[in-house]
Amino acid sequence: MAANLGKRKRQATGEATEKPRKSKRESSEELDSALEDAQAIFRRHFEAQFKPLPEVKKAAKPIEAAPEEEESQEDESEWDGLSEVEETEVQVVEHTDAQSRMAAMSKEELKAFMSSKVPRSAPEVSLLRDKAGSAIPDDDDSEAANLKKDLALQRLLAESHLLESSSNTTVSGKNRHKATDMRIQALGSKTSILKQEKMPMLHRKGIIAKQTDRETTRRKEAKENGIILEKAKNDKKRDGKRDRGVGAPGVGKFSGGTLKLSKKDIFDIEGPKKSSAGRGGRGGKRGGRGRGKSF
Amino acid sequence: MSAPAPEFLHFTTHKSLTQRLVLSTLTGRPIHISQIRSSSPTNPGLAPHEVSFLRLLESVTNGSSLQISYTGTKLTYMPGLITGSAAGLGTSGDVIKHNLPATCTRSVSYFLIPLCMLAPFSKAPLNVRFEGEGVITSATQSGDISVDAVRTAILPLYEHFGILSAKLELRVLQRSCVGAGGKGGGGVVELRFGSQVRLPKTLHLNRSPGRVRRIRGVAYCTGVSASNNARMIHTARGVLNPLVSDIHVAAQYDQAPLVSSHDKSDPKARKRTGIGFGLCLIAETASAGVIYSADVAAPPEGGVTPEDLGLQCAYQLLEVISQGGCVTRVGASTVLTLMAMGSEDVGRVRLGRDIVGSEDLVVLGRDLKKFGASSWGLRDVDEDDSGDIIVAVKGSGVGNVGRKIA
Repeated sequence: MAANLGKRKRQATGEATEKPRKSKRESSEELDSALEDAQAIFRRHFEAQFKPLPEVKKAAKPIEAAPEEEESQEDESEWDGLSEVEETEVQVVEHTDAQSRMAAMSKEELKAFMSSKVPRSAPEVSLLRDKAGSAIPDDDDSEAANLKKDLALQRLLAESHLLESSSNTTVSGKNRHKATDMRIQALGSKTSILKQEKMPMLHRKGIIAKQTDRETTRRKEAKENGIILEKAKNDKKRDGKRDRGVGAPGVGKFSGGTLKLSKKDIFDIEGPKKSSAGRGGRGGKRGGRGRGKSF
Repeated sequence: MSAPAPEFLHFTTHKSLTQRLVLSTLTGRPIHISQIRSSSPTNPGLAPHEVSFLRLLESVTNGSSLQISYTGTKLTYMPGLITGSAAGLGTSGDVIKHNLPATCTRSVSYFLIPLCMLAPFSKAPLNVRFEGEGVITSATQSGDISVDAVRTAILPLYEHFGILSAKLELRVLQRSCVGAGGKGGGGVVELRFGSQVRLPKTLHLNRSPGRVRRIRGVAYCTGVSASNNARMIHTARGVLNPLVSDIHVAAQYDQAPLVSSHDKSDPKARKRTGIGFGLCLIAETASAGVIYSADVAAPPEGGVTPEDLGLQCAYQLLEVISQGGCVTRVGASTVLTLMAMGSEDVGRVRLGRDIVGSEDLVVLGRDLKKFGASSWGLRDVDEDDSGDIIVAVKGSGVGNVGRKIA
């Protein structure tokens, strides 16, 4: 400790005070040894009277040989280098990266563990994941395994086009929903689960307009480029009578408590004028209702 | 009650008070406890948490009577029937609300663990909600474990006794660490113990505990920076990762709870209390049902870094694992009590040598004997050189009195 303190002092005052400092240090060391001798004498005296004292380990002086070395170097150069005390002190820098990969439980596991229930010691393997085709070993030739492989193959063939889209090439997320939708429709569902049931009329109109627009441009471009596309699915044309409900009048438009007859309806009921009856009487009658449809 | 004058069992001091009260309630023997902190000139008699536990016992039982002497140094308790939270007996909804005073210094696990021992023998499902200004959900300096440790390390032990763990629930509605001066918190915890049995099954847990396979845990922060969680987890993993690869610790951050500030001028004023952080680690072994746990929380006066705490918790877990056995020190009293209350058959449990030699287990063994249970048989494990001890406990066949009548 004494050596350390001396060093600090030297650094502060520079070389000018080198000589007196050294002598001071020598004298302090002499004093130390004298003190130790005195202590040893006291100790011996004490131990002779009472019982032996426990051995006191003297703190080892950090650098015993350093001063001599330094002295020889100091003569040669002005700069006395870095202080040795600082060299021997290893600077410990602890860098903790709190943002580094945290202990990430899977979502289900975290939910199960942090719920108010007693956590299960063995986590249940989710069925969805267990059904992955890869889980079945290839050399399993049993009937059940073959069936599973068949199913997996069928699904792969039917759904592989989903994986071709450039944006999403995984079987999770959007593609998984699309695959589920396809399977449900294959099982006989009339509507798609992806179709939104309730939405503002204007939105729906816009979507439908966009769809038809896209379809027509596609067809137009294909036609211009000479590509033959699949047949257009034409809308079902209304054929036959409009369903007018039970007990409703078979003619005209009933609104606001009044049956409104258009001129055409009246003409249809009245039939052609008598004056021209000789010429087109039968023809007019034959047309009757039917003619109305061709408008 | 027109029963003949009951024969009191006499005990002294406040040590393992809850354990004795639980045994008294289970066996139906009245007890008399004297010299409760009688030598303390400043705080003689029962502490606030002990009084609170007595009140809790009164609310979950029917017909129990309690006498506390003027100074609180003497206590007479005559147990009643454990009714649980049956309708019409001080329950609101289907839960008993129990208010802990702000002077409470113990974690809520001090109440939960003995209450869980009573719950399987209750007549109706036992649902208790702890609230008020004394509910501390974290671990404490006095050695209480946190609610997370109760839920993940103590409650799974009941599965061994045929008590369905699916019907046990411990909801932590509000977390709270220890408040200023080591007193109070503001947490809300609800225990729902829906599985009652006539007699607990005989336990045979004398197999080798096996190697630790996975480590789970919860790091919690209330009212302090949530990054403390990450720091605790990081250092704990630094110690444990070379030993086990499967380590996952969940991080839980909550706001500090609001409690009344007890300001006379403004009775509506509220303040935040119970800030702090802590870590609870659970190690599960390859052998089913063996769980080791460690629990450390920051002291209320602060001054520790999360890194130190994480390190301390990891080392504590390693120490608990090194003690061996199939049940840890914190779970041993629960397991041995339930075994003693079981059917008249000999059950066995393998415990670490240090755990069997610990003071609270020795006291528990003596108390059980005093309450009329048979003595334990101890035998060294000779299959391996772990130095563990197999404790054989013969059940007293007391079981659930309420179920027997019904």
